[in-house]
Amino acid sequence: MLEIKNLHVKLEDEDKVILKGLTLTVPKGEVHAIMGPNGSGKSTLAYVLAGRDGYEVTDGDILWNGESIIGMEPDERAAKGVFLAFQYPMEIPGVAGLTFLRTATNAVRKRRDLPELSTPDFLKVVKEKAAKLNIDIQMLKRPVNVGFSGGEKKRSEILQMAMLEPTLCVLDETDSGLDIDALRIVSDGVNALRSPDRAMLVITHYQRLLNHIVPDKVHVLTDGRIQKTGGKELALELEKSGYADYTGKAA
Amino acid sequence: MQLADQVLDKGDRGMTVQMLTTKAEQAILKSFEDNATDLPGGTAVAELRRAAIGAFASKGLPSRRVEEFKYTDLKANVKDVLPLAVGDASGSAGDGALSKHFAALAENAVSFVDGRGVAEKNGNKFLAGLLSSPPTWIMSALADKELAASADLLLNTALFTDGAVIDIAAGAEPTDPIVMVTSTPNNALTALRHVIRVGKGAKVTIVEIEQAPRTAGVRQSSALTQIEVADGAEVAHIKVVEARKGSLHLSHGQVSLGANATYSPFHMTVGDGLVRNSLNVFFNGQNTTFDFAAASIVHGTGHADTTLVIDHTVPHCTSRELFKTVLDGQARAVFQGKVIVRPQAQKSDGKQMAQALMLSPDTEFDSKPELEIYADDVVCGHGSTAAEIDSDLIFYCTSRGIPAPVARAMLIESFIGEAIAKVAHDGLREALTVFARESLTAV
Ligand SMILES: Nc1ncnc2c1ncn2[C@@H]1O[C@H](COP(=O)(O)OP(=O)(O)O)[C@@H](O)[C@H]1O
Ligand SMILES: [Mg+2]
Repeated sequence: MLEIKNLHVKLEDEDKVILKGLTLTVPKGEVHAIMGPNGSGKSTLAYVLAGRDGYEVTDGDILWNGESIIGMEPDERAAKGVFLAFQYPMEIPGVAGLTFLRTATNAVRKRRDLPELSTPDFLKVVKEKAAKLNIDIQMLKRPVNVGFSGGEKKRSEILQMAMLEPTLCVLDETDSGLDIDALRIVSDGVNALRSPDRAMLVITHYQRLLNHIVPDKVHVLTDGRIQKTGGKELALELEKSGYADYTGKAA
Repeated sequence: MQLADQVLDKGDRGMTVQMLTTKAEQAILKSFEDNATDLPGGTAVAELRRAAIGAFASKGLPSRRVEEFKYTDLKANVKDVLPLAVGDASGSAGDGALSKHFAALAENAVSFVDGRGVAEKNGNKFLAGLLSSPPTWIMSALADKELAASADLLLNTALFTDGAVIDIAAGAEPTDPIVMVTSTPNNALTALRHVIRVGKGAKVTIVEIEQAPRTAGVRQSSALTQIEVADGAEVAHIKVVEARKGSLHLSHGQVSLGANATYSPFHMTVGDGLVRNSLNVFFNGQNTTFDFAAASIVHGTGHADTTLVIDHTVPHCTSRELFKTVLDGQARAVFQGKVIVRPQAQKSDGKQMAQALMLSPDTEFDSKPELEIYADDVVCGHGSTAAEIDSDLIFYCTSRGIPAPVARAMLIESFIGEAIAKVAHDGLREALTVFARESLTAV
């Protein structure tokens, strides 16, 4: 279970406060969506969950399976099952996709006390998972994300997620930049990972993704706080009326 | 000899030869003096040596006022000069880069120990044995006027004790690379001269390794390699220099390229010594490609200078330079890439990229591209970057469970790997990759 309690986050180098008392609980087995306007702090929440530098937690806590993860390095969180699919996946020139995937997969397996995958076993698993995401294995021989289209980058994120078998999946605007076919492929990939052992937090700006990845709950984030929580129908409502009703102070 | 005497005399009287003030320069002249009668060669070569030492005496070691040595002031930095090695050729190459990383090549390698070739192999000759009456092509290479322009090259002409003579017949395609390994077990100055001719349509890979075994002494070395590439030939030329603290390595390549040829040099410099790799390339025939890559890993107080002069004298030639360096400690790297496009050299295509990855804030990278373009229909470009490791990329890797030190190593290796990737020979590329990886973890 993911428990975010009264989370306050500011930028480390500036006075800017972004999250102002965010509280949220995602039980295992559930998929929750976070919707909010641009600049409301969605990516900040995602980064703070993954452990990115540059943000300072000034109050509150994040518990994953009862344990605070705030002081942990990103790789330690990954070992504990945290995975962030980036809104803007990064390009790593010179590192082949397969090398990256194998290094990450085996690093995580090692820390979970699982045997490392041999090269043939690894390749077999990658091929299978890549095929489901419509990713050509040749693409993975190229440097990570370099020269990939927006849609290819997002699919490559989901492939990484499938390989690392996380238990907390945070997807930051995975739908942005996808056409309708790519959206379906990515959503199918995400849905395939839905399981009673997994919690998922799906961040999106638009309702359309939630037609494919149907959430158990929808949270509205504006001005650094969750302003409203509802069922999947809340997303449809937002689509019609926009976020105007949820400016922090008016709520 | 006479000239040297003269110079020394003047030096003694002070005054006249103001430039000749450094201890190192005096020592070089004395070295010539002491060894002149033992240096290999007949009258013609002896004359060449005398002229060279005379010209060296009037120039002195290059200081930063010489544009090509702007960032590598030998006059100021070379304090002492070791005695010239005149090895008895019985030494062993010792335990350095070659035996560790290029073991598969060792069988084939021609060794130079303390300035002398050890055993001739594969039909390639040693230069020393041919010098009493050298074949015309060798003599004209040795006497190349272009080499008189720079004091570091004059030094080589005056003092070289041996070298390889490689003569690849037209159309030949030796399957194995031709490998030369140089080591200097004792504290010494060495000067080697390699003369290479690659015939029409031949395809060859040449490897030069300057190794610095842990057990060896500090060395000062000069290596001058001259290559004449005939029409349609393809030459890959790999040079690996291990440079230990306190050592000096001056290396130069003088290359002339025929038409429809390809010359692909790759330089790898590793360590914390003072290294200068210079290369002058002349395009003498059309539709020829020069494709240079370099990877250097410098740490401590190491200093590695790569200076290129690429002369587009004819139309329709392509030049590519990719220079990559990883710097740690207080290390300094220099890249100077001069591309000259002569008025008649239309449709020249030149691109240059120099990149440094700085692992410590005390490192320095001096990058100086120089485009001298006298033709109007050309495509020439250059770029240069100096950066630290991208912390966003470290985050991306660690968020995938990769520990930060592994992520750092992976990113550094990939940075340098882009240059190593240009090496076409599979075995060499792999050996260089492993050598780079181990050198990086040792940094
Ligand atoms: N590293 C940063 N530097 C400067 N401003 C930032 C940084 N991260 C976030 N912000 C600012 O914080 C606010 C929230 O950003 P973000 O979390 O990216 O919002 P969202 O993902 O909801 O669009 C925005 O105003 C954004 O400009
Ligand atoms: Mg965002």
